[in-house]
Amino acid sequence: MTDTMERRALTREQLLAAYRQMRTIREFEERVHREFATGEIPGFVHLYAGEEASAVGVCGNLDGRDTIASTHRGHGHCIAKGVDVGEMMAEIYGRRTGSCHGKGGSMHIADLSKGMLGANGIVGGGPPLICGTALAAKLKGNGGVSVAFFGDGGSNQGTTLESMNLASVWNLPAVFVAENNGYAETTSSTWSVASDNIADRAAGFGMPGVIVDGFDFFAVHEAASEAITRAREGGGPSLIEMKFTRYFGHFEGDQQTYRASEVEHARAELDCLKRFADRVTETGELARADLEAVDAEVATLIDRAVDEAKTAPLPTGADLLTDVYVRY
Amino acid sequence: MGDAIVGVVANPLSGRDIRRLVTQASVFPTAEKANMIGRMLTALRAVGVQRVLLSTDLGGISASVLRAIGRRRGQDPPWPEVEFLDGQPIRQTAQDTVDAVRRMVTSGARVIICLGGDGTARVAATATGEVPMLALSTGTNNVFPAVREATIAGLAAGLVATGAVPDGHAAARAKLLEVRVGDRVQTALVDIAVCTERHVGARAVWDPATVTQLFCAFAEPDAVGLSSVLGQLAPVTRADPRGVTARLAADAPRQVLAPIAPGLVTAVGVGEIEPIHPGQAYAVDARAGVIAVDGERELTFEPGERPVVRLRADGPRCVDVPAALAASARLGLLRHQLRRVGST
Repeated sequence: MTDTMERRALTREQLLAAYRQMRTIREFEERVHREFATGEIPGFVHLYAGEEASAVGVCGNLDGRDTIASTHRGHGHCIAKGVDVGEMMAEIYGRRTGSCHGKGGSMHIADLSKGMLGANGIVGGGPPLICGTALAAKLKGNGGVSVAFFGDGGSNQGTTLESMNLASVWNLPAVFVAENNGYAETTSSTWSVASDNIADRAAGFGMPGVIVDGFDFFAVHEAASEAITRAREGGGPSLIEMKFTRYFGHFEGDQQTYRASEVEHARAELDCLKRFADRVTETGELARADLEAVDAEVATLIDRAVDEAKTAPLPTGADLLTDVYVRY
Repeated sequence: MGDAIVGVVANPLSGRDIRRLVTQASVFPTAEKANMIGRMLTALRAVGVQRVLLSTDLGGISASVLRAIGRRRGQDPPWPEVEFLDGQPIRQTAQDTVDAVRRMVTSGARVIICLGGDGTARVAATATGEVPMLALSTGTNNVFPAVREATIAGLAAGLVATGAVPDGHAAARAKLLEVRVGDRVQTALVDIAVCTERHVGARAVWDPATVTQLFCAFAEPDAVGLSSVLGQLAPVTRADPRGVTARLAADAPRQVLAPIAPGLVTAVGVGEIEPIHPGQAYAVDARAGVIAVDGERELTFEPGERPVVRLRADGPRCVDVPAALAASARLGLLRHQLRRVGST
């Protein structure tokens, strides 16, 4: 049992890295929110602000062998899995220097070199992908684990349910992370999810299902650590449901007439970054000055990413067919 | 008897914590919690309860009961009138349970049935006052709430609420543990554990190697959870005025196999064991860590803060289901009630 204690006690470096990633996601999203309003960003963006503890708490337990599949709200997952922030911003601006050379945009940022299988415009599109990578890891015996993030809307898709079934039947090293932010676009999950809790569905697939406070980094990290270790050691798949609130609308421009004061409450009382900062400074694990130094670094990083993205070249006509077809 | 009101509070989140990952604890689905309430309503009405106050939630339990009421047909067994306690904010925290129980008490509930685990019973007990509580398990560890068929719980609650069984025969006062860290106070119905962890994290305590000190209001030999450690070494009944405390250390010479959680039986090293007495203050030894109440990490404390634990005799009054139904058998209550219900 002592090994589990050691696994849970995070080092100073791990805590700083977790804070840096959560702050990077927040700063990235707040900035995209402002820049989108200027009309310079093409297409749609769906912002992850408020949900940072989920991506960072889960991905903090992953390494180079592991893969993740994301959703249309994918910026946070990309950053947490180590995708370059400058390339991400360029991708969102549709530039040649972007992660996908400017052809994907916000909803299709992918970087296979980082084990990031892609944000995904298809709701429930990620879970089948990770069954593939998890099967590959299992057959290769390399100890790799695959994680699918999906929302409460995605949890109702057949693809997600079929994937959980397949992962259980094949005993795959897979973790299903349901990010329940309360609304599938504008439809309340309390209306659309028949089991009310997504975690309850795990029982039907013969896997464990747990609910975690998605605003609490330490709760997420601990639960994810157990689920990922279980998968890595051959124990099979599991389902973790995060409960939290997204800070912005479904997409930028959403008038949000379907929800009231919960965002203000979440920002004021539940914010994952604030709770993390209060907690680690209370215990003395980190000092306020450490966190402020990270804040300054991150602000510079995001400024540079936006400046570079705005001045980077757009794809040309000659790029039209590159990276589109693959010869097997 | 016309005022035989029963309150029913159900925690939508019980039975879903990390122990499903790290042990073999089962998920208790919302649909089954709602079914339990349905079975309970049938039993309550059968023994003469006309009105039930039900907590509301965003987890789907109250919505499911509301749908069930809407779908009821003529041949279904009658239910009491159900009043949903809505109109107050639902925070999706333990405060919802406290708020609902308070409203039941002020609305004149004669018994409050609480569906959840040890955590739910602990929270409900802070607000029941003198109203007898009947804690029914839909959680994980279930030391305090009984694992019992809801129909039987409904009969017992109804018999006490109507006064058919005098509550002096069927309700007993439980003990309570209290822990104070500065001005922060928490109570526990079963146990308080001092853990070496730094953060509340995923809340449940499932690794006894992290526990350095344990206080139990009672410790039964057949319990599951942390109190089981002392249940095998120094059992204390619920009726005993004393409690028991021990220091735990993985390398202590005395080891006991204890069912810490469903599906988790593990060796625990136990040092000195001592009785604890009501009212006396017991200091926590550790410099910093987390205090868990009834198996859930709740209070953090830092160097310089000295948590103090006390055993209190003024816990909630609890319905004793076997005693209530034994009294009913002695008095012939169900025979009488069944004839009366059949003739209406």
